[in-house]
Amino acid sequence: MALVHKLLNGSYILRKGLKPSVAACPFLSTRSADYCSSSLQKPVATPGKASTQRTAAGGLQEDQREVALDIPSPEEKPEVSFDKAIKDEIKEHFRRLKDEIVNHWIGPEGRPLQEIILEQARVVWQFRGKEDLDKWIVTSDKTIGGKSEVFLKMGKNNQSALLYGTLSSAAPQDGENSQSGYCAMISRIPRGAFERKKSYDWSQFNTLYLRVRGDGRPWMVNIREDTDIIQKTNQMYSYFMFTRGGPYWQEVKIPFSKFFFSNQGRIRDAQFQLLLDKISSIGFTLADKVDGPFFLEIDFIGVFADPAHTEEFAYENSPVLNPRLFK
Amino acid sequence: MLARGLSRGWRGICGAALTGAPFSQVPSQVPRGLHCSVATHSSDSSLVPRPPEPLRQPAKPLSPHEELFRPAPDGARDKASFVRAVQNFGQHNVHKRGHVDFIYLALRKMRDYGVEKDLAVYNLLLDVFPKEVFRPRNVFQKIFVHYPRQQECGLAVLEQMENHGVMPNKETEFLLVQIFGRKSYPMLKFVRMKLWFSRFKNINPFPVPRDLPKDPVDLAVLGLRHIEPDLSARVTVYQTASSKDSTGTADPTQQHIVGIQSPDQQAALARHNPARPIFVEGPFSLWLRDRCVYYPIQLDLKYGRGGWDDYEFDIDEVEEGPVFAMCMAGAHDQATLAKWIQGLQETNPALAQIPVIFRLTGSSGELLASSSGLEEPSPPPPQEQEEEEDHTQRQQQGQS
Repeated sequence: MALVHKLLNGSYILRKGLKPSVAACPFLSTRSADYCSSSLQKPVATPGKASTQRTAAGGLQEDQREVALDIPSPEEKPEVSFDKAIKDEIKEHFRRLKDEIVNHWIGPEGRPLQEIILEQARVVWQFRGKEDLDKWIVTSDKTIGGKSEVFLKMGKNNQSALLYGTLSSAAPQDGENSQSGYCAMISRIPRGAFERKKSYDWSQFNTLYLRVRGDGRPWMVNIREDTDIIQKTNQMYSYFMFTRGGPYWQEVKIPFSKFFFSNQGRIRDAQFQLLLDKISSIGFTLADKVDGPFFLEIDFIGVFADPAHTEEFAYENSPVLNPRLFK
Repeated sequence: MLARGLSRGWRGICGAALTGAPFSQVPSQVPRGLHCSVATHSSDSSLVPRPPEPLRQPAKPLSPHEELFRPAPDGARDKASFVRAVQNFGQHNVHKRGHVDFIYLALRKMRDYGVEKDLAVYNLLLDVFPKEVFRPRNVFQKIFVHYPRQQECGLAVLEQMENHGVMPNKETEFLLVQIFGRKSYPMLKFVRMKLWFSRFKNINPFPVPRDLPKDPVDLAVLGLRHIEPDLSARVTVYQTASSKDSTGTADPTQQHIVGIQSPDQQAALARHNPARPIFVEGPFSLWLRDRCVYYPIQLDLKYGRGGWDDYEFDIDEVEEGPVFAMCMAGAHDQATLAKWIQGLQETNPALAQIPVIFRLTGSSGELLASSSGLEEPSPPPPQEQEEEEDHTQRQQQGQS
């Protein structure tokens, strides 16, 4: 199943002339409904049979291209070679497996141990090229029928990424959603060999560092932990990031002790600190109920260890709200 | 008395079904045990004025009590008329029949009347609930959610307060205790609101005042001060907007122009090499709460920067130069901005020798570029903004 998905990914990359700004892959696994910001609203089920894959993939990709652009000319039709793509994928996965085994002998994450121990600051995501944009997924409330639009592209001189769009809080008239209006940019979960999920280990750092340039809107930074347990898929830790607006770059430092816990979109009464040893993704959300265009330019995202910050967790549990914690 | 009340209730329902009067809250209130005296839809329903037939709005069904929110003949939709409508509801029926629907309707209408951020109005709306009736009295009522519709309605009131950022006060707490009791869901939500609102009240490092000034010049000054971190920067109003005595079709010849420049920027501009041009870029958008203002900036390009000195974050060479000045103007065409440049020249005499290139993105995404007429024509700037012209629906704020 994972190999099939990667195959479609591979044949997707073989195509020429597709706009990478539609940074959504409709062939992700079961969560495709959440992570598509293109105009395809129906979740695309991963095709099961190998024989129908090529036609299905070709047909669906044609659909998506026709929706996004005009009809492609015949000579632009890419060469989708099923066998070659599978061979490439297999080679890629075994290469990753070899890298992982070799890196294990060098040190954690492939870097020597003293480097990791003495490290005080690390840049986790940089935006210097198109391949950096592929590590992110953009979502908006189009998935539930709203009207916000969001796009991600490289910024000026390839030195930053620009997330821009229009927020619209017109609620979809489907009888079950009364509020709407959000846009989000989420990082993809890092994958190892054979699409195994990996996670980030930031246990020696204590502050998140972002260099952004916004337009004055308040954003929300969400961190999700390793989601192997099914109950954890809707849990995340969040905090607010206030942009100043203006032409000057803004450095935002958010200590990890300030992140509060929320489940299924609601702040919970029982709060616990964010544990940094298995972080799977980070995301930025805009949902400030103000309609209009927005933009956010991000230079890089890093983590560092702030020696002046000694707080472990910023929120106390109150006995009024959860008395069982105080027995 | 109990049996009589029940039979009266059933007769009322059958009567209402025959006459076709709206009785939307009957299904939720009929299975009531001891408190049906509050909830019976008796023959008094004929006293409630029927809402008018929806002739003028064929698609939308009118909800009950909608006529209370019909605008007065003089048409003012403000807090006083909203308060009057809420109080009229209580006057029509002493037993507050249909208060749940009325409260939902009032919550929907608050935005039209402009009172959605007013705590006193929310307290008045909570006051519509009958008191002491919905409090659980014995252990069985405490186990099950007592009066679930009313509790959901109270939660909806509090949720709208939360969405608009209104902090509840002691009066709200007293009302909630009186209506629902201390262990009810609205009271729990109230405790959570108090806790999290007070935790997040002052976390914005760049606070914007709640009441934004209406005057565009004052708004521009506030916006410019907001984005300029240098406190010694000076705001200059180059031109104020003309008075509003012109007719609607006449073009406004005078738009306000407000500029800001700090002494460091002035010094940098004085040192600037006259051979390299200065670019006026913009307009970019700045959001102050829910108002958007636009500002162009004047800056240099092709300026290399070194590394970071603390915490080893390396910044590569960034191709963007220092900002020399910023302004906010009513219109972003070249003529207005040229006036700004002329105003800047008074404080920065070096600007007269430096060529200025305008790179403005208009509302259709096109690139307008030209140089100021004072100097020799400079080479046209690189056309880097073609990909933005795909998105012609909205103005592009980002730099390409």
